[in-house]
Amino acid sequence: MNDLDLLLAPIAAGDADAFGQWIARAEPELRVSLRGFAAVADCEAVLQEALLRVWQVAPQFTPDGRPNALLRFAVRIARNLALGEARRFRTVGLDDDAMTRLAGHEARTPSEPDPRLRATIATCREELPDKPAQALQARLDAGGSEPDETLAARLQMRTNTFLQNVTRARRILAECLERHGVDLALEWR
Amino acid sequence: MSDADETLIEAVAGAFRHRDARGTITAHPAWHDLDAQGRDAAWAQAAKLRAMESALDPDGLSSTARAVLARIRRGG
Repeated sequence: MNDLDLLLAPIAAGDADAFGQWIARAEPELRVSLRGFAAVADCEAVLQEALLRVWQVAPQFTPDGRPNALLRFAVRIARNLALGEARRFRTVGLDDDAMTRLAGHEARTPSEPDPRLRATIATCREELPDKPAQALQARLDAGGSEPDETLAARLQMRTNTFLQNVTRARRILAECLERHGVDLALEWR
Repeated sequence: MSDADETLIEAVAGAFRHRDARGTITAHPAWHDLDAQGRDAAWAQAAKLRAMESALDPDGLSSTARAVLARIRRGG
């Protein structure tokens, strides 16, 4: 499905499953569109807020007739939110012109997911030692709905230890994936 | 990069975020403690983690997607 607007009608009708399908394809492009804001806004928070706003305004959204209108709209929402955060935090020296230029880029067509990636990651997960495997699994199970402090307590780890185990898991996985010719950074472009 | 920085980056790369009194999703508290290089690293790390999560999820959903959908199903 190259045009995610095929999901627009059910999304506008309030079908959360359809919105999930849309997010699964749109998220990589949305995240990449925020790359230039990484140092001046928490892009994870911006992305989640942008997705919620897309869901809220989808019933009133009118596509412009070109493919992926909702995705292009979502990119604009996300970048404007990031711009607002950057101005609010005034964290680093990006002048207004530079930030406005960052906010003006166009979305690209989302790429197809690689079906081999899942099998390769599953193979690599078998290499993980117990503690890093538990920490990674806890993050996956939580699905972003619980803080790390809660996940750590459940595993009877200190939060720092939990995060160190996540780091260790990620590194071992990255090394294994590299041996299998997979670069996760490239998968997400 | 120190171990402390790495831990902060790992925390910020996670998907859990709080909401403020108005219901807006807020920056991770540790994000403010990172310098520009650390924030860039957290962005890159989050992108890789989400790629892995979505590859492993039967519906192709990352933890970002699942967190958003959970909020929607709880009533936005």
